[in-house]
Amino acid sequence: MSNSALLLLQDVLEKPELIDWEWIRENFWEDIVPAFQGHIFLSFVSVAIALVIALPVGVISARYRKVYPPVTFVTGILYSIPSLALFAILISIPGVAIGPSPVIIALVAYSLLILIRNTVAGLDSVPPETIDAARGMGLTNRQILFRVELPLALPIIVAGIRIATVTIIGIATIGAYISGGGLGALIFDGINRQFPTMIIAGAVLATALAITADLLLLGLERYLRPWARVRRT
Amino acid sequence: MLSNILEVFARPDFPEKLREHVVLSLVALLVAVAIAMPVALMIRNTRLGAAIAINIGNVGRAVPSLAILALALPLLGIGFASALVALTALAIPPILINASTGLREVNKDVIDAARGMGLSGGQILARIQLPIAAPVIFAGIRTSAVQTVASATLATFIGGGGLGDLIVEGYSERGPEILLAGAIAVAILAIITEVGFGALERAFTPKGLKIAQKRGR
Amino acid sequence: MIEFRHVSKTYPGSDNPVVNDLSFEVLKGEICVLVGPSGCGKTTSMRMVNRLIEITEGEILIDGEPNTAMSGTQLRRKIGYAIQQIGLFPHRTIADNIGTVPNLLGWDKGRIKERVNELLELVGLSPDEYRDRYPAELSGGQQQRVGVARALAADPPIMLMDEPFGAVDPITRERLQDEFLRIQEDIKKTIVFVTHDIDEAIKIGDKISILKQGGVLAQYDTPENILSRPASEFVSSFVGADRVLKRLSLTRVGEMDLEPANGGTDRLPRISEGVTVKDALSELMGWGQSSAVVEKDGENRLLTFEAIEALTSGTSSEAPNGGGTSA
Repeated sequence: MSNSALLLLQDVLEKPELIDWEWIRENFWEDIVPAFQGHIFLSFVSVAIALVIALPVGVISARYRKVYPPVTFVTGILYSIPSLALFAILISIPGVAIGPSPVIIALVAYSLLILIRNTVAGLDSVPPETIDAARGMGLTNRQILFRVELPLALPIIVAGIRIATVTIIGIATIGAYISGGGLGALIFDGINRQFPTMIIAGAVLATALAITADLLLLGLERYLRPWARVRRT
Repeated sequence: MLSNILEVFARPDFPEKLREHVVLSLVALLVAVAIAMPVALMIRNTRLGAAIAINIGNVGRAVPSLAILALALPLLGIGFASALVALTALAIPPILINASTGLREVNKDVIDAARGMGLSGGQILARIQLPIAAPVIFAGIRTSAVQTVASATLATFIGGGGLGDLIVEGYSERGPEILLAGAIAVAILAIITEVGFGALERAFTPKGLKIAQKRGR
Repeated sequence: MIEFRHVSKTYPGSDNPVVNDLSFEVLKGEICVLVGPSGCGKTTSMRMVNRLIEITEGEILIDGEPNTAMSGTQLRRKIGYAIQQIGLFPHRTIADNIGTVPNLLGWDKGRIKERVNELLELVGLSPDEYRDRYPAELSGGQQQRVGVARALAADPPIMLMDEPFGAVDPITRERLQDEFLRIQEDIKKTIVFVTHDIDEAIKIGDKISILKQGGVLAQYDTPENILSRPASEFVSSFVGADRVLKRLSLTRVGEMDLEPANGGTDRLPRISEGVTVKDALSELMGWGQSSAVVEKDGENRLLTFEAIEALTSGTSSEAPNGGGTSA
């Protein structure tokens, strides 16, 4: 790090206006931890629900290719809509209250594209000879799916889960704006109260959470696929 | 309801918000390209350099957009300029990752043949590596563009302007038409960006590569 | 025309040279095949000629001048280069691919176009059909032909070819080899040809350099001499236990000195004079016959086991003695 960056960092760490360590100590259990827990809850639930939808849809799309383009189209549109806009649209629907629900709906919608696409790609990557051998040995289609195809497709599927999880953690921060909770609440509160400490706490923790999840899942991906290559976007 | 939404688009400040949004996104994207491409070019032949660039890119992609924009507030202040800096930083990773992998994934045999035939390093870059890597590079720029348009919506939170202002206004003043107008405008802008850059990507894919893709070679 | 003088290559950080004190000559208009097991340094040696790999010790002379006299890039534009994986530029048309070096050398467009058409004809691809296609549209064999055409484009006096027919099936490969030999009869280039396949080396080479592990020259000689007088245990085992039979594939029946057939030939099978002696022997044995009739210059001649045996006399089946350059 260059000298000026070091000085800036030192500044940030020492100025009470920027980081009020007192406040952090006092409000750790009251504000910070619940925000953290809320964030993990949001992310986890969203990824889980998304997987429950995406995996079957992915398997079906891989089998019946005609379904795939419309599925990609719809999920692609959902993915393109900026998160704040999607939140706004969702809460405009009568009956949808602000809070965690619309946030979870939006997070699930965002991750569908990447999860479905990677499920299909993962299944496509299974060598046809392997499936042929399995069929030749007398496995039923169902057995082939669960014992041969999905296990072999796993590295690519996990790569998709990784990207989806990181994206969800990121967008969940924005969900705090519509009272979804999570670390974004610290950020928005901090902005409203003009209190940099909260902003920095929220931002840093959210970033740390995202990067940790990324690295853990990357480790899992590499473990499943020792010959791992760098994947493109 | 629909007419109320359309009235929002007719507001005098709407074109300005749209312009702010587009300018923020475009400038951030262009600066990101100007930073990421030279780096990718420099490391194209070194394995270590590429690994570093790609790892930085991967970490960068994981960082939540709101976090970076929010951090710009205490560090750089409010306003257009801070938002621009934050958005530029966010726009770099997808371009860096794709440009780096794209250039490195050009078939080594093709490059060996080119070198063996007597093309110089610069000629190999310009005539072989860049054209072949172009689709991947443009895919990265496209991803970055769409992501930047989305993140620019958040610029409103640090006083950066843009269409996010409408969403916030609608939300806080309970004006659902304003809320929806802002949301729809941003969504359409994002979709246009996606489609537009998709077309650009196809335009820059050399014909020979399109054929190879089709035949799975 | 190309001379290797005590050439060695050791990679930094490694103790063992990959090419060790290699000295031999490739004469003008000849095909010299570098052949040997993996790790023998044959490809490395070839790539030192056009300086894709730099020599650690010794020098390579081309027409008496060291190959370091000009820049690597300039040198390579004067040497044809064809590799196993071909390396066609996927984003350019066949015509553009072939025209690459002429374009670099500044030929005018008309001349390049003519040359591309000429070369496509030469390698057996119709120019009108293939000029504007892309590599992905061609089969492996076709791509390989384009690779050879591309190497010939600027009409270089020297060609380097690294397993150029390696990436196709054996039938296509044999056809490509035959066509290539036919082309070489016309153009008479000086060629360094690398292969791991001793049969290809024997078929194609005017001279063969057999390399051992560690880049050491085991024998440099004509195919005939390598087969009949292998210089070492290594050479004779690399060439194969069937080297006597391999020798028979070097001669055609029509080239043999055969006795005239004196009648009684109606019940004997016929063999055409273009067949190799090895194939003829195979046919005889298949038919269960010990002789056959060959028509040559209008006369009927008799091909017998004895005549074939006479050809191979002088082939030592015991341990080697000297012959050619060896280590």
